[in-house]
Amino acid sequence: MGVFEFMVGRKKPTPSELAKERLKVVLVHDRLKVSPELLELIKSELLSVLSRRLDIDEQHMQITMTREGGLDTLMANAPIKRQKVTFEWDPPSKDVIRGKVHVEEDQQ
Amino acid sequence: MDSTRIITITSGKGGVGKTTTTANLGTALAMQGKKVAVLDADIGLRNLDAVMGLENRIVYDLVDVVEGQCRLKQALIKDKRQPELYLLPAAQTRDKNAVNSIQMEELCQQLRQDFDFVIIDSPAGIEQGFRNAIVGANEIIIVANPEMASVRDADRIIGLVEAAGKPEPRLILNRLRADMVKRGDMMAITDVLEVLNIDLVGIVPEDESIIIATNKGEPAVYDKRSRAGRAYLDTAQRLLGEEVPLDEVLDSPSLLERLRRLIRFGPALSEKPARSQSS
Ligand SMILES: Nc1ncnc2c1ncn2[C@@H]1O[C@H](COP(=O)(O)OP(=O)(O)OP(=O)(O)O)[C@@H](O)[C@H]1O
Ligand SMILES: [Mg+2]
Repeated sequence: MGVFEFMVGRKKPTPSELAKERLKVVLVHDRLKVSPELLELIKSELLSVLSRRLDIDEQHMQITMTREGGLDTLMANAPIKRQKVTFEWDPPSKDVIRGKVHVEEDQQ
Repeated sequence: MDSTRIITITSGKGGVGKTTTTANLGTALAMQGKKVAVLDADIGLRNLDAVMGLENRIVYDLVDVVEGQCRLKQALIKDKRQPELYLLPAAQTRDKNAVNSIQMEELCQQLRQDFDFVIIDSPAGIEQGFRNAIVGANEIIIVANPEMASVRDADRIIGLVEAAGKPEPRLILNRLRADMVKRGDMMAITDVLEVLNIDLVGIVPEDESIIIATNKGEPAVYDKRSRAGRAYLDTAQRLLGEEVPLDEVLDSPSLLERLRRLIRFGPALSEKPARSQSS
């Protein structure tokens, strides 16, 4: 079970799974001593970078530090709002490729 | 002796089985014909003597030795049954800061001369007592129970042991309950190992016989019917470099196979790659 499945409560974890996922997060925090404020800052910076290209569902974006495969890892879960992305090329020029990104909310 | 192995049994969290482990491993190694000293470094909370049934024989203690009130040989208490097993008891009436790291290191050097193994029972916590317990060690074994707080503290200890420049610690998982693991109510061995990224050297089940053995003052390794006692005998064999499969009621053979490979035999290797690179 991955950390986000656990966080969004998609599965009902067993007590042992719960302990394991909680531990993976708490151990990284114990080691790195990352404050919640810093994590919040990283999250908002990530969001602003991602939002330049994609329409991220800010409400449901999650960021966490956890231990995966023996490595202390920053994990970000950034759901993208359902949308239609199209790209329109500008007439080809010598060495640059330009175009416009169109993003529409998907109707379904 | 150059080859003397000084092994500290530590945990961070209290009450997880350090003293039980020290007494049983020490006895088991002595049963294998090794010269063993077990050392109670839990100053002020003397316990190892009682677990080994030697509480009535104490004259001098560790602090007396360190302060030069007696010679080391006078303070070492000979075990009741094993001719090559000795206990150096903790002081009971002294403060845990009665000893410093330099004194402890010197004591370990002294013990080297006469023993194949020195097993040090560390106090709980991460303060001076813990630092004293690891300063002279060339191997560290962490005891943990498969529950949140204990595993968390074990990771803390792993970090501190690393920072102290000691070889990578190994793990004994104590008080495992296979029935609870099966129900998903307790973390399995593989879960703990994955989270801690550490090598395993033994698994000891939760077992009433430990309490009975403590009450009698006879380590469980003497009790042929004790599962925990057998687990400690197996662990001692592994420390001696033998491949002993895990006796665990882990149902899946593939899991057993995976675990078998996770166990490192013999002395701890110091040249293992840093944990951040291993996976
Ligand atoms: N495998 C086991 N099964 C059942 N009981 C156990 C087991 N291991 C330890 N115990 C019991 O748990 C209690 C604590 O054990 P022990 O004194 O060895 O822990 P400790 O880590 O040395 O504690 P402290 O931190 O206080 O020094 C004791 O009552 C002991 O009998
Ligand atoms: Mg103890």
